[in-house]
Amino acid sequence: MNTWQKLKQQPKLFKRYFVREQIFAAIREFFAKKQTHEVEVPLLAPSLPAESYLEVFETTLLDRHRHPKRAFLTTSPEMFLKKLLVAGIGSCFSLTKSFRNTEGESNTHNPEFTILEWYEVGKDYKDVMKTTEELVCYIYDKLFSSSVARSDHNRHTELVSASKKSSHIRSNSKLILNYQNQVIDLTPPWERISMTEAFAKYARIDLEKLLDLKSLQTVVRKKGYQVGEGETWEELFHQIYLNEVVPQFSKNRPTIIFDYPVQLAALAAKPKASDPRFVERFEVYIGGIELADCCTELTQVDEQQKRFQKELTLRKKLGKKDYPVDWEFIEALKLGLPSCAGIALGVDRLVMLMTNVSRIQDTLFFPSEEMWQGLS
Amino acid sequence: MSKITTADFQKGMFIEFKSEPHQIVEFQHVNPGKGSAFVRTKVKSLKTGHVQEFTYKSGESAEQLDINTREMQYLYKEVEKYVFMDNESYEQFTVLAQVLGHYADFLKENEIYQLLVYGEDVIGVRFPKKVRLKVIETEDAVKGNTVSGATKEAKLETGVMIQVPLFIKVGDVVGVDPELAEYVDRVNQ
Repeated sequence: MNTWQKLKQQPKLFKRYFVREQIFAAIREFFAKKQTHEVEVPLLAPSLPAESYLEVFETTLLDRHRHPKRAFLTTSPEMFLKKLLVAGIGSCFSLTKSFRNTEGESNTHNPEFTILEWYEVGKDYKDVMKTTEELVCYIYDKLFSSSVARSDHNRHTELVSASKKSSHIRSNSKLILNYQNQVIDLTPPWERISMTEAFAKYARIDLEKLLDLKSLQTVVRKKGYQVGEGETWEELFHQIYLNEVVPQFSKNRPTIIFDYPVQLAALAAKPKASDPRFVERFEVYIGGIELADCCTELTQVDEQQKRFQKELTLRKKLGKKDYPVDWEFIEALKLGLPSCAGIALGVDRLVMLMTNVSRIQDTLFFPSEEMWQGLS
Repeated sequence: MSKITTADFQKGMFIEFKSEPHQIVEFQHVNPGKGSAFVRTKVKSLKTGHVQEFTYKSGESAEQLDINTREMQYLYKEVEKYVFMDNESYEQFTVLAQVLGHYADFLKENEIYQLLVYGEDVIGVRFPKKVRLKVIETEDAVKGNTVSGATKEAKLETGVMIQVPLFIKVGDVVGVDPELAEYVDRVNQ
């Protein structure tokens, strides 16, 4: 039975699905209060940012003579928002769909998903950590602000303060989320741990001494993992990170993991001025779910160009679909991207957390898995 | 053993993990922060039943265990154990209740089943999608109760209780899905 049919049988299930629209409304309200512009970005584009690991959807655009042009579903709103930052829009956000292929068979991926991406001009990743805490708490408060809903959601706490309507976070009340039998305290500040600290604490290794491929290979092998030929530093790093570090993050508080090795700078994270072996990037984990990915943005054109090339070379090596890269973005950077930090947050995953479901599919009226089921 | 990669993974597959036989309980695609792809896998030890998680690199290799499927006749039940016999070799196998799980509720004496054997041990059973079992106890249908989809309890010859439609009578043979423990149809004799 598909979701809409289940809903017809059990109308009370609608309540859970409606949380999504409340979250959308809360996000827009939050940014409106900060005078941050909302940008509607294209979902169909002639080119994409150079990203090594993402698999893409391609289609064909026809003009009136039916001449075909390659067209792609966008993998994130990043390039559009950054061009507008160059144009001078100031802090801005987009709440939109993005598309990534070959990410099936997962409880936390849907090929098309809702992404919230925002940029704060004149700020860095540490400021965005605070905004992220503020936003998640704002949404929590909107969803559970009536005392009834709150006490219902917070069977484990004594909170419930007197004022019902106030939309800011009360200092005397804890924000408790019950998620999949875990009691998570969302009250800021969240736990902040650097990549180096986390590797020392959970995997008992000194990351700073493993920044070259050879040293890391030795340690990974010693720990009993497979090390294949031609495996990159990034792959070896993630073997330890995913098996030993992430599973040990606090179950009862959100974790902000920050200061990534430069090998994981991705497209646009800015190196730390104090130690360029690391970049200003963080991710947020709540209840075991990777929720958001942020960095202080790289503003140097030459370095950005190098990273584009590097990503493209890696893409080729990995045999991923070849696509035209958005070089106009590099042109834009030449005009000067204001110093800023940006973050992408998986909205569907936030809905999972707020509705206490373990599968992204259970937050969607029409999950892809369901629509394609049985089709070969 | 045969070499496979994560691309071949399937739920229920038997693989070697840390030099011990394990069964794949579930697996998930993960890709950390726009990084390369990984497969988060839950495996259950065939020896201890202990479930643990391991994240493989996508495309990483693993050893699939050589599992033999052997037809065996179910003989009788001991405490928390079930005894089967291979009718070709007359070898007897004792199978722990935890290996059979709830399928044990549908075992009928003297019937032939396909058992999965690894080395000397039975590690699982491949049950048919539908089993036929006789109803030995159920209330008579109440006349006038025509609510569609209404069900009642029935005890089958193996002792298990399932929900059946109201028209089912004692002595009827019903088809049951053993995986879901659900009534499928009435089998005409």
